[in-house]
Amino acid sequence: MDFELPEELKMIQKLARDFVTDRLRPLERDLLGRAADQSDARAALPAEKEAELTALVREMGLWGVGVPEELGGAGLDTLGACLVEEELSRTVVPFHFGDVTPFLFDGSQMQRERYLQPALSGAKRPLVALLEPGNTGDPAAVRLKARRDGDDYVLNGRKLSFSRPGDDYFALVFAATEAGLTAFLVDKDTPGFTLRGGGERRGWLAPLREPLELAFRNCREMAENVLGEAGKALELGKKWLPARRVIRAARCVGVARRLLEEATAAAQSLESFGQSVYKKANIRAALAEIAAYVRAARLMVYEAAWQADKGELIARQAALVRLYATQAVQTIADRVSHVFGGPPYLAGQPMARLCQRALADGAVELSLERQRHVVARDIIQGAGD
Amino acid sequence: MPLPVQRDVKEIEVILNQILGTRCPPVARLRLLSSGFGTAHSLNIAENLSGHKECLGCGNCVDICPFLSREPYRRQRTEQRTSMALESTVGEDCDLCHACVLVCPQVDTTIKHYIVNHRLVEVMSRLEERLGDVDEPDLDLFLEEAIS
Repeated sequence: MDFELPEELKMIQKLARDFVTDRLRPLERDLLGRAADQSDARAALPAEKEAELTALVREMGLWGVGVPEELGGAGLDTLGACLVEEELSRTVVPFHFGDVTPFLFDGSQMQRERYLQPALSGAKRPLVALLEPGNTGDPAAVRLKARRDGDDYVLNGRKLSFSRPGDDYFALVFAATEAGLTAFLVDKDTPGFTLRGGGERRGWLAPLREPLELAFRNCREMAENVLGEAGKALELGKKWLPARRVIRAARCVGVARRLLEEATAAAQSLESFGQSVYKKANIRAALAEIAAYVRAARLMVYEAAWQADKGELIARQAALVRLYATQAVQTIADRVSHVFGGPPYLAGQPMARLCQRALADGAVELSLERQRHVVARDIIQGAGD
Repeated sequence: MPLPVQRDVKEIEVILNQILGTRCPPVARLRLLSSGFGTAHSLNIAENLSGHKECLGCGNCVDICPFLSREPYRRQRTEQRTSMALESTVGEDCDLCHACVLVCPQVDTTIKHYIVNHRLVEVMSRLEERLGDVDEPDLDLFLEEAIS
Protein backbone atom coordinates (compact mmCIF):
# COMPACT_ATOMS: atom_id res chain seq x y z
CA MET A 1 0.00 0.00 0.00
CA ASP A 2 1.50 3.29 -1.07
CA PHE A 3 -0.06 6.53 0.12
CA GLU A 4 2.46 8.69 -1.71
CA LEU A 5 1.04 10.90 -4.45
CA PRO A 6 2.73 10.50 -7.86
CA GLU A 7 5.33 13.19 -8.64
CA GLU A 8 3.18 14.69 -11.41
CA LEU A 9 0.21 15.14 -9.08
CA LYS A 10 2.41 16.58 -6.35
CA MET A 11 3.58 19.16 -8.85
CA ILE A 12 0.00 20.03 -9.85
CA GLN A 13 -0.96 20.28 -6.18
CA LYS A 14 1.93 22.66 -5.53
CA LEU A 15 1.07 24.78 -8.56
CA ALA A 16 -2.54 25.10 -7.40
CA ARG A 17 -1.48 25.77 -3.79
CA ASP A 18 0.94 28.50 -4.80
CA PHE A 19 -1.65 30.03 -7.11
CA VAL A 20 -4.18 30.19 -4.29
CA THR A 21 -1.66 31.53 -1.76
CA ASP A 22 0.00 34.08 -4.04
CA ARG A 23 -2.83 35.15 -6.34
CA LEU A 24 -6.22 34.48 -4.80
CA ARG A 25 -5.83 34.94 -1.07
CA PRO A 26 -4.47 38.49 -1.39
CA LEU A 27 -7.76 39.34 -3.16
CA GLU A 28 -9.90 38.23 -0.24
CA ARG A 29 -9.87 41.64 1.41
CA ASP A 30 -11.16 43.34 -1.76
CA LEU A 31 -13.90 40.76 -2.11
CA LEU A 32 -15.02 40.93 1.51
CA GLY A 33 -15.00 44.73 1.45
CA ARG A 34 -12.78 47.26 3.13
CA ALA A 35 -15.50 49.59 4.37
CA ALA A 36 -16.62 49.21 7.99
CA ASP A 37 -20.22 48.56 6.91
CA GLN A 38 -19.07 46.16 4.15
CA SER A 39 -20.85 48.31 1.57
CA ASP A 40 -18.11 47.48 -0.96
CA ALA A 41 -18.23 43.71 -0.44
CA ARG A 42 -18.89 41.68 -3.58
CA ALA A 43 -19.63 38.12 -4.59
CA ALA A 44 -17.21 37.71 -7.49
CA LEU A 45 -14.03 39.19 -8.84
CA PRO A 46 -14.18 41.98 -11.45
CA ALA A 47 -14.21 40.62 -15.02
CA GLU A 48 -10.77 42.03 -15.92
CA LYS A 49 -9.16 40.47 -12.83
CA GLU A 50 -10.79 37.16 -13.63
CA ALA A 51 -9.48 37.31 -17.21
CA GLU A 52 -5.97 38.04 -15.92
CA LEU A 53 -6.08 35.05 -13.55
CA THR A 54 -7.56 32.81 -16.25
CA ALA A 55 -4.64 33.67 -18.55
CA LEU A 56 -2.22 32.69 -15.79
CA VAL A 57 -3.92 29.33 -15.27
CA ARG A 58 -3.84 28.68 -19.01
CA GLU A 59 -0.10 29.35 -18.98
CA MET A 60 0.24 26.82 -16.19
CA GLY A 61 -1.59 24.31 -18.42
CA LEU A 62 -4.26 23.64 -15.81
CA TRP A 63 -7.27 25.21 -17.50
CA GLY A 64 -10.17 22.77 -17.78
CA VAL A 65 -9.00 20.38 -15.05
CA GLY A 66 -12.11 18.24 -15.07
CA VAL A 67 -12.58 18.29 -18.83
CA PRO A 68 -11.18 15.36 -20.88
CA GLU A 69 -8.23 16.14 -23.10
CA GLU A 70 -10.05 15.15 -26.30
CA LEU A 71 -12.66 17.83 -25.50
CA GLY A 72 -10.04 20.54 -25.06
CA GLY A 73 -9.47 20.35 -21.31
CA ALA A 74 -6.39 19.63 -19.22
CA GLY A 75 -7.54 16.02 -18.95
CA LEU A 76 -6.61 15.56 -15.31
CA ASP A 77 -7.91 12.40 -13.69
CA THR A 78 -10.29 12.50 -10.72
CA LEU A 79 -7.50 12.53 -8.13
CA GLY A 80 -5.81 15.45 -9.88
CA ALA A 81 -9.10 17.35 -10.07
CA CYS A 82 -9.70 16.66 -6.36
CA LEU A 83 -6.27 18.03 -5.44
CA VAL A 84 -6.90 21.20 -7.43
CA GLU A 85 -10.43 21.69 -6.02
CA GLU A 86 -9.17 21.14 -2.49
CA GLU A 87 -6.61 23.89 -2.91
CA LEU A 88 -9.08 26.26 -4.60
CA SER A 89 -11.49 25.86 -1.69
CA ARG A 90 -8.91 27.18 0.75
CA THR A 91 -9.92 30.68 -0.22
CA VAL A 92 -13.24 32.49 -0.22
CA VAL A 93 -12.45 33.97 -3.64
CA PRO A 94 -14.73 32.18 -6.12
CA PHE A 95 -12.49 31.03 -8.94
CA HIS A 96 -12.21 27.79 -10.86
CA PHE A 97 -9.77 26.21 -13.29
CA GLY A 98 -12.18 25.92 -16.24
CA ASP A 99 -14.91 23.93 -14.59
CA VAL A 100 -17.62 22.93 -17.09
CA THR A 101 -20.71 20.87 -16.34
CA PRO A 102 -20.23 17.33 -17.70
CA PHE A 103 -23.74 17.39 -19.18
CA LEU A 104 -22.12 19.14 -22.13
CA PHE A 105 -19.57 16.37 -22.71
CA ASP A 106 -22.30 14.20 -24.25
CA GLY A 107 -23.16 16.69 -27.01
CA SER A 108 -22.79 16.11 -30.74
CA GLN A 109 -19.74 17.44 -32.60
CA MET A 110 -21.69 20.55 -33.59
CA GLN A 111 -22.87 21.11 -30.01
CA ARG A 112 -19.35 20.70 -28.69
CA GLU A 113 -18.12 23.40 -31.04
CA ARG A 114 -21.04 25.77 -30.47
CA TYR A 115 -21.52 25.31 -26.73
CA LEU A 116 -18.84 23.26 -24.93
CA GLN A 117 -15.83 25.10 -26.37
CA PRO A 118 -17.17 28.62 -25.66
CA ALA A 119 -18.18 27.44 -22.17
CA LEU A 120 -14.68 26.10 -21.58
CA SER A 121 -13.02 29.24 -22.89
CA GLY A 122 -15.28 31.41 -20.74
CA ALA A 123 -16.81 33.19 -23.75
CA LYS A 124 -20.28 31.87 -22.92
CA ARG A 125 -21.67 30.80 -19.59
CA PRO A 126 -23.89 27.72 -19.43
CA LEU A 127 -26.97 28.21 -17.21
CA VAL A 128 -28.02 24.80 -15.94
CA ALA A 129 -31.82 25.05 -15.66
CA LEU A 130 -33.10 21.95 -13.91
CA LEU A 131 -35.20 23.31 -11.06
CA GLU A 132 -38.48 25.18 -11.39
CA PRO A 133 -40.33 27.73 -9.27
CA GLY A 134 -42.34 25.78 -6.70
CA ASN A 135 -40.47 22.57 -7.42
CA THR A 136 -36.94 22.64 -6.14
CA GLY A 137 -36.84 19.20 -4.54
CA ASP A 138 -37.68 16.71 -7.25
CA PRO A 139 -35.72 17.13 -10.47
CA ALA A 140 -37.73 14.41 -12.21
CA ALA A 141 -41.09 16.18 -11.80
CA VAL A 142 -40.47 18.77 -14.51
CA ARG A 143 -43.39 20.97 -15.49
CA LEU A 144 -41.79 22.89 -18.36
CA LYS A 145 -43.25 21.36 -21.50
CA ALA A 146 -41.57 20.97 -24.88
CA ARG A 147 -44.18 20.16 -27.54
CA ARG A 148 -43.08 18.62 -30.82
CA ASP A 149 -44.08 20.75 -33.80
CA GLY A 150 -42.78 19.37 -37.10
CA ASP A 151 -39.00 19.21 -36.85
CA ASP A 152 -38.92 21.66 -33.96
CA TYR A 153 -39.87 21.74 -30.31
CA VAL A 154 -41.87 24.54 -28.69
CA LEU A 155 -40.92 25.27 -25.07
CA ASN A 156 -43.34 26.82 -22.58
CA GLY A 157 -42.76 27.28 -18.87
CA ARG A 158 -40.35 28.69 -16.31
CA LYS A 159 -37.07 27.50 -14.86
CA LEU A 160 -34.62 28.47 -12.11
CA SER A 161 -30.87 28.39 -12.47
CA PHE A 162 -28.18 28.81 -9.83
CA SER A 163 -25.41 29.22 -12.41
CA ARG A 164 -23.48 32.44 -12.50
CA PRO A 165 -24.70 34.74 -15.27
CA GLY A 166 -22.42 36.51 -17.74
CA ASP A 167 -22.70 38.83 -20.74
CA ASP A 168 -23.07 35.93 -23.13
CA TYR A 169 -24.77 32.73 -22.12
CA PHE A 170 -26.88 29.79 -23.16
CA ALA A 171 -29.33 27.73 -21.15
CA LEU A 172 -29.24 23.98 -20.64
CA VAL A 173 -32.93 23.35 -20.11
CA PHE A 174 -34.51 20.14 -18.86
CA ALA A 175 -38.02 19.85 -20.31
CA ALA A 176 -40.78 17.26 -20.35
CA THR A 177 -41.50 15.88 -23.83
CA GLU A 178 -43.65 12.98 -25.01
CA ALA A 179 -40.51 10.84 -25.05
CA GLY A 180 -39.62 11.77 -21.45
CA LEU A 181 -37.20 14.21 -19.84
CA THR A 182 -35.16 15.92 -22.57
CA ALA A 183 -32.32 18.44 -22.36
CA PHE A 184 -32.21 21.42 -24.76
CA LEU A 185 -29.49 23.93 -25.47
CA VAL A 186 -31.13 27.34 -25.82
CA ASP A 187 -29.13 30.32 -27.09
CA LYS A 188 -29.33 33.70 -25.40
CA ASP A 189 -31.04 35.38 -28.35
CA THR A 190 -33.64 32.69 -29.07
CA PRO A 191 -37.07 34.39 -29.48
CA GLY A 192 -39.36 33.57 -26.56
CA PHE A 193 -36.48 33.08 -24.08
CA THR A 194 -36.06 35.72 -21.39
CA LEU A 195 -33.82 35.88 -18.34
CA ARG A 196 -34.48 37.79 -15.12
CA GLY A 197 -32.17 38.44 -12.18
CA GLY A 198 -28.44 38.03 -11.96
CA GLY A 199 -27.51 41.65 -11.27
CA GLU A 200 -24.43 42.01 -9.11
CA ARG A 201 -25.09 42.61 -5.45
CA ARG A 202 -22.83 44.75 -3.33
CA GLY A 203 -22.56 45.01 0.42
CA TRP A 204 -23.12 42.47 3.12
CA LEU A 205 -25.78 40.66 1.10
CA ALA A 206 -23.28 40.04 -1.72
CA PRO A 207 -22.57 36.36 -1.01
CA LEU A 208 -26.25 35.45 -0.96
CA ARG A 209 -27.18 33.59 -4.10
CA GLU A 210 -30.51 34.18 -5.74
CA PRO A 211 -31.58 31.97 -8.61
CA LEU A 212 -31.93 33.32 -12.10
CA GLU A 213 -35.44 33.09 -13.51
CA LEU A 214 -35.65 31.77 -17.04
CA ALA A 215 -38.96 32.14 -18.87
CA PHE A 216 -39.87 30.33 -22.09
CA ARG A 217 -42.89 31.48 -24.02
CA ASN A 218 -43.49 29.68 -27.31
CA CYS A 219 -39.74 29.36 -27.56
CA ARG A 220 -38.96 27.38 -30.73
CA GLU A 221 -35.95 25.07 -30.64
CA MET A 222 -34.60 22.95 -33.46
CA ALA A 223 -34.33 19.21 -32.84
CA GLU A 224 -30.55 19.47 -33.41
CA ASN A 225 -30.33 21.42 -30.14
CA VAL A 226 -31.47 18.44 -28.13
CA LEU A 227 -28.54 17.42 -25.94
CA GLY A 228 -27.99 13.67 -26.10
CA GLU A 229 -31.09 11.75 -27.08
CA ALA A 230 -34.68 12.94 -26.71
CA GLY A 231 -36.23 11.46 -23.57
CA LYS A 232 -32.87 10.40 -22.17
CA ALA A 233 -31.74 13.48 -20.32
CA LEU A 234 -31.08 11.45 -17.18
CA GLU A 235 -28.39 9.54 -19.07
CA LEU A 236 -26.36 12.71 -19.57
CA GLY A 237 -22.96 12.86 -17.96
CA LYS A 238 -23.47 9.39 -16.50
CA LYS A 239 -19.81 8.59 -16.86
CA TRP A 240 -18.60 11.69 -15.05
CA LEU A 241 -21.24 12.61 -12.45
CA PRO A 242 -20.28 10.14 -9.66
CA ALA A 243 -16.68 11.40 -9.81
CA ARG A 244 -17.99 14.97 -9.57
CA ARG A 245 -19.52 14.06 -6.22
CA VAL A 246 -16.06 13.07 -4.97
CA ILE A 247 -14.65 16.34 -6.31
CA ARG A 248 -17.32 18.27 -4.42
CA ALA A 249 -16.31 16.40 -1.26
CA ALA A 250 -12.74 17.56 -1.95
CA ARG A 251 -14.09 21.13 -1.76
CA CYS A 252 -15.36 20.36 1.76
CA VAL A 253 -11.86 19.17 2.66
CA GLY A 254 -10.39 22.44 1.36
CA VAL A 255 -12.83 24.50 3.43
CA ALA A 256 -12.09 22.32 6.47
CA ARG A 257 -8.34 22.84 6.08
CA ARG A 258 -8.77 26.58 5.94
CA LEU A 259 -11.01 26.50 9.02
CA LEU A 260 -8.25 24.61 10.86
CA GLU A 261 -5.71 27.18 9.68
CA GLU A 262 -7.86 30.07 10.94
CA ALA A 263 -8.62 28.30 14.21
CA THR A 264 -4.91 27.65 14.80
CA ALA A 265 -4.05 31.28 14.14
CA ALA A 266 -6.79 32.39 16.52
CA ALA A 267 -5.71 29.94 19.22
CA GLN A 268 -2.17 31.32 19.04
CA SER A 269 -3.17 34.97 19.10
CA LEU A 270 -6.13 35.08 21.52
CA GLU A 271 -5.61 35.40 25.24
CA SER A 272 -7.99 34.74 28.07
CA PHE A 273 -7.41 35.04 31.82
CA GLY A 274 -3.82 36.07 31.11
CA GLN A 275 -3.03 32.93 29.20
CA SER A 276 -2.84 32.11 25.49
CA VAL A 277 -5.92 30.10 24.64
CA TYR A 278 -3.93 27.39 22.88
CA LYS A 279 -2.63 26.33 26.28
CA LYS A 280 -6.11 25.34 27.40
CA ALA A 281 -6.96 21.67 27.25
CA ASN A 282 -10.34 22.07 25.54
CA ILE A 283 -8.86 24.25 22.80
CA ARG A 284 -6.13 21.69 22.17
CA ALA A 285 -8.80 18.99 22.05
CA ALA A 286 -10.82 21.03 19.55
CA LEU A 287 -7.78 21.53 17.29
CA ALA A 288 -6.85 17.86 17.47
CA GLU A 289 -10.38 16.77 16.63
CA ILE A 290 -10.58 19.17 13.69
CA ALA A 291 -7.27 17.81 12.39
CA ALA A 292 -8.55 14.24 12.72
CA TYR A 293 -11.71 15.08 10.76
CA VAL A 294 -9.70 16.80 8.03
CA ARG A 295 -7.32 13.88 7.75
CA ALA A 296 -10.05 11.26 7.60
CA ALA A 297 -12.13 13.18 5.04
CA ARG A 298 -9.06 13.79 2.93
CA LEU A 299 -8.04 10.14 2.87
CA MET A 300 -11.58 9.10 1.97
CA VAL A 301 -11.64 11.57 -0.90
CA TYR A 302 -8.28 10.41 -2.22
CA GLU A 303 -9.24 6.74 -1.99
CA ALA A 304 -12.54 7.25 -3.83
CA ALA A 305 -10.78 9.34 -6.49
CA TRP A 306 -8.13 6.65 -6.89
CA GLN A 307 -10.84 4.02 -7.35
CA ALA A 308 -12.64 6.21 -9.90
CA ASP A 309 -9.42 6.56 -11.85
CA LYS A 310 -9.04 2.79 -11.90
CA GLY A 311 -12.39 2.67 -13.70
CA GLU A 312 -14.27 1.08 -10.81
CA LEU A 313 -17.92 1.81 -10.02
CA ILE A 314 -17.82 4.35 -7.23
CA ALA A 315 -21.48 5.15 -6.56
CA ARG A 316 -21.18 3.85 -3.01
CA GLN A 317 -17.75 5.33 -2.29
CA ALA A 318 -18.90 8.68 -3.64
CA ALA A 319 -21.96 8.56 -1.38
CA LEU A 320 -19.80 7.66 1.64
CA VAL A 321 -17.32 10.41 0.94
CA ARG A 322 -19.97 13.05 0.43
CA LEU A 323 -21.80 12.01 3.56
CA TYR A 324 -18.69 12.08 5.71
CA ALA A 325 -17.05 15.19 4.27
CA THR A 326 -20.25 17.24 4.47
CA GLN A 327 -20.87 16.27 8.06
CA ALA A 328 -17.22 16.70 8.99
CA VAL A 329 -17.04 20.25 7.68
CA GLN A 330 -20.16 21.19 9.65
CA THR A 331 -18.78 19.66 12.84
CA ILE A 332 -15.52 21.50 12.24
CA ALA A 333 -17.32 24.82 11.75
CA ASP A 334 -19.02 24.15 15.06
CA ARG A 335 -15.80 23.08 16.81
CA VAL A 336 -14.04 26.22 15.56
CA SER A 337 -16.50 28.25 17.60
CA HIS A 338 -15.10 26.56 20.72
CA VAL A 339 -11.67 27.91 19.84
CA PHE A 340 -13.08 31.38 19.35
CA GLY A 341 -15.16 31.15 22.51
CA GLY A 342 -18.30 32.16 20.68
CA PRO A 343 -19.53 32.72 17.15
CA PRO A 344 -16.45 31.95 15.09
CA TYR A 345 -16.60 34.97 12.87
CA LEU A 346 -16.91 38.67 12.70
CA ALA A 347 -18.81 40.01 9.74
CA GLY A 348 -16.45 40.80 6.89
CA GLN A 349 -13.81 38.23 7.84
CA PRO A 350 -13.06 35.19 5.62
CA MET A 351 -14.29 32.99 8.44
CA ALA A 352 -17.85 34.23 7.90
CA ARG A 353 -17.99 32.98 4.33
CA LEU A 354 -16.17 29.75 5.15
CA CYS A 355 -18.75 28.91 7.79
CA GLN A 356 -21.58 29.88 5.44
CA ARG A 357 -20.15 27.44 2.91
CA ALA A 358 -19.81 24.73 5.52
CA LEU A 359 -23.48 25.12 6.39
CA ALA A 360 -24.59 25.43 2.77
CA ASP A 361 -22.95 22.10 1.97
CA GLY A 362 -25.30 20.37 4.33
CA ALA A 363 -28.37 22.29 3.26
CA VAL A 364 -29.55 19.42 1.14
CA GLU A 365 -30.42 17.28 4.16
CA LEU A 366 -32.68 15.00 2.12
CA SER A 367 -29.81 14.40 -0.26
CA LEU A 368 -27.58 13.31 2.63
CA GLU A 369 -30.34 10.98 3.75
CA ARG A 370 -30.23 9.35 0.34
CA GLN A 371 -26.45 9.03 0.48
CA ARG A 372 -26.99 7.03 3.66
CA HIS A 373 -29.38 4.81 1.78
CA VAL A 374 -26.98 4.19 -1.09
CA VAL A 375 -24.45 2.97 1.46
CA ALA A 376 -27.01 1.00 3.50
CA ARG A 377 -28.37 -0.71 0.39
CA ASP A 378 -24.92 -1.98 -0.51
CA ILE A 379 -24.27 -3.22 3.01
CA ILE A 380 -27.61 -5.06 3.10
CA GLN A 381 -26.91 -6.57 -0.29
CA GLY A 382 -23.78 -8.07 1.17
CA ALA A 383 -21.13 -5.73 -0.17
CA GLY A 384 -19.38 -5.80 3.22
CA ASP A 385 -17.94 -2.69 4.84
CA MET B 1 -60.88 17.30 17.43
CA PRO B 2 -60.70 19.57 14.42
CA LEU B 3 -63.40 20.48 11.92
CA PRO B 4 -64.34 18.05 9.13
CA VAL B 5 -62.95 20.42 6.51
CA GLN B 6 -59.37 20.91 7.55
CA ARG B 7 -56.52 23.15 6.55
CA ASP B 8 -55.08 22.47 3.08
CA VAL B 9 -51.36 21.96 3.67
CA LYS B 10 -50.50 23.35 0.23
CA GLU B 11 -51.72 26.77 1.44
CA ILE B 12 -49.43 26.81 4.44
CA GLU B 13 -46.51 24.67 3.30
CA VAL B 14 -43.92 27.44 3.45
CA ILE B 15 -44.79 28.66 6.95
CA LEU B 16 -45.29 25.06 8.06
CA ASN B 17 -41.75 24.15 7.04
CA GLN B 18 -40.41 27.25 8.73
CA ILE B 19 -42.15 26.31 11.96
CA LEU B 20 -41.04 22.68 11.75
CA GLY B 21 -37.46 23.78 11.10
CA THR B 22 -37.35 26.17 14.08
CA ARG B 23 -35.84 24.73 17.22
CA CYS B 24 -38.84 25.12 19.51
CA PRO B 25 -41.82 22.83 20.19
CA PRO B 26 -44.05 23.48 17.17
CA VAL B 27 -47.34 22.24 18.59
CA ALA B 28 -48.82 25.57 19.70
CA ARG B 29 -48.17 27.30 16.40
CA LEU B 30 -49.49 24.39 14.38
CA ARG B 31 -52.60 24.33 16.56
CA LEU B 32 -53.22 27.93 15.54
CA LEU B 33 -52.75 27.00 11.88
CA SER B 34 -55.36 24.24 12.24
CA SER B 35 -59.09 24.49 11.67
CA GLY B 36 -60.09 24.57 15.34
CA PHE B 37 -62.50 22.74 17.63
CA GLY B 38 -65.15 20.66 15.82
CA THR B 39 -68.88 20.92 16.64
CA ALA B 40 -69.25 17.14 16.96
CA HIS B 41 -67.10 17.23 20.07
CA SER B 42 -68.57 20.22 21.89
CA LEU B 43 -70.70 19.61 24.96
CA ASN B 44 -74.12 21.13 25.22
CA ILE B 45 -73.33 23.03 28.35
CA ALA B 46 -71.97 26.28 27.03
CA GLU B 47 -71.90 28.43 23.93
CA ASN B 48 -70.96 26.86 20.62
CA LEU B 49 -67.20 26.41 20.61
CA SER B 50 -66.87 25.42 16.96
CA GLY B 51 -63.73 26.68 15.27
CA HIS B 52 -61.95 27.72 18.44
CA LYS B 53 -58.26 26.99 18.51
CA GLU B 54 -57.37 27.18 22.20
CA CYS B 55 -55.11 24.68 23.90
CA LEU B 56 -57.31 22.19 25.77
CA GLY B 57 -54.70 21.62 28.43
CA CYS B 58 -54.82 17.85 27.98
CA GLY B 59 -51.09 17.57 28.66
CA ASN B 60 -50.42 15.04 25.90
CA CYS B 61 -47.59 17.12 24.46
CA VAL B 62 -45.92 17.55 27.85
CA ASP B 63 -46.16 13.83 28.54
CA ILE B 64 -44.74 12.70 25.20
CA CYS B 65 -41.88 15.19 24.97
CA PRO B 66 -38.60 13.16 24.97
CA PHE B 67 -36.63 16.14 26.21
CA LEU B 68 -38.82 16.54 29.31
CA SER B 69 -38.50 12.78 29.89
CA ARG B 70 -34.75 13.14 29.91
CA GLU B 71 -34.77 16.23 32.08
CA PRO B 72 -37.94 15.95 34.21
CA TYR B 73 -36.84 18.65 36.66
CA ARG B 74 -37.78 21.20 34.01
CA ARG B 75 -41.41 20.32 34.60
CA GLN B 76 -41.10 21.82 38.05
CA ARG B 77 -40.97 25.27 36.54
CA THR B 78 -44.73 25.24 36.11
CA GLU B 79 -47.76 23.19 37.01
CA GLN B 80 -49.41 23.97 33.71
CA ARG B 81 -49.73 21.19 31.16
CA THR B 82 -50.38 23.29 28.11
CA SER B 83 -48.53 23.78 24.84
CA MET B 84 -47.41 27.19 26.10
CA ALA B 85 -45.89 25.52 29.15
CA LEU B 86 -44.14 23.09 26.81
CA GLU B 87 -42.68 25.97 24.81
CA SER B 88 -41.41 27.75 27.90
CA THR B 89 -39.94 24.66 29.56
CA VAL B 90 -38.30 23.13 26.49
CA GLY B 91 -37.59 26.18 24.35
CA GLU B 92 -34.56 25.87 22.10
CA ASP B 93 -33.61 22.47 23.51
CA CYS B 94 -36.37 20.90 21.40
CA ASP B 95 -35.33 17.65 19.65
CA LEU B 96 -37.60 18.49 16.70
CA CYS B 97 -39.14 15.02 16.91
CA HIS B 98 -42.60 16.56 16.27
CA ALA B 99 -44.21 14.02 18.62
CA CYS B 100 -46.05 16.85 20.41
CA VAL B 101 -47.82 17.77 17.19
CA LEU B 102 -48.89 14.20 16.49
CA VAL B 103 -50.52 13.79 19.92
CA CYS B 104 -52.28 17.16 20.03
CA PRO B 105 -56.03 16.73 19.57
CA GLN B 106 -56.35 20.26 18.22
CA VAL B 107 -53.92 19.95 15.29
CA ASP B 108 -55.46 19.09 11.92
CA THR B 109 -54.92 15.59 10.57
CA THR B 110 -53.79 17.09 7.26
CA ILE B 111 -50.86 18.71 9.06
CA LYS B 112 -50.07 15.48 10.92
CA HIS B 113 -50.08 13.57 7.62
CA TYR B 114 -47.68 16.08 6.15
CA ILE B 115 -45.28 15.66 9.08
CA VAL B 116 -45.45 11.87 8.94
CA ASN B 117 -44.86 11.80 5.19
CA HIS B 118 -42.20 14.47 4.92
CA ARG B 119 -40.44 15.09 8.20
CA LEU B 120 -40.06 11.88 10.20
CA VAL B 121 -37.21 9.39 10.04
CA GLU B 122 -39.88 6.73 9.66
CA VAL B 123 -40.27 7.82 6.04
CA MET B 124 -36.82 6.50 5.27
CA SER B 125 -38.29 3.37 3.72
CA ARG B 126 -40.10 5.59 1.23
CA LEU B 127 -36.90 7.38 0.48
CA GLU B 128 -35.45 3.98 -0.31
CA GLU B 129 -38.29 3.36 -2.74
CA ARG B 130 -37.53 6.66 -4.37
CA LEU B 131 -33.87 5.76 -4.49
CA GLY B 132 -34.66 2.72 -6.58
CA ASP B 133 -32.23 0.32 -8.12
CA VAL B 134 -28.52 0.62 -8.77
CA ASP B 135 -29.10 1.12 -12.48
CA GLU B 136 -31.57 3.95 -12.06
CA PRO B 137 -30.15 7.44 -12.44
CA ASP B 138 -29.25 9.12 -9.16
CA LEU B 139 -31.32 12.30 -9.34
CA ASP B 140 -29.31 13.88 -6.55
CA LEU B 141 -26.29 13.93 -8.82
CA PHE B 142 -28.33 16.13 -11.16
CA LEU B 143 -29.54 18.26 -8.30
CA GLU B 144 -26.02 18.76 -6.97
CA GLU B 145 -24.80 19.64 -10.44
CA ALA B 146 -27.58 22.19 -10.86
CA ILE B 147 -27.00 24.02 -7.59
CA SER B 148 -23.22 23.87 -7.21
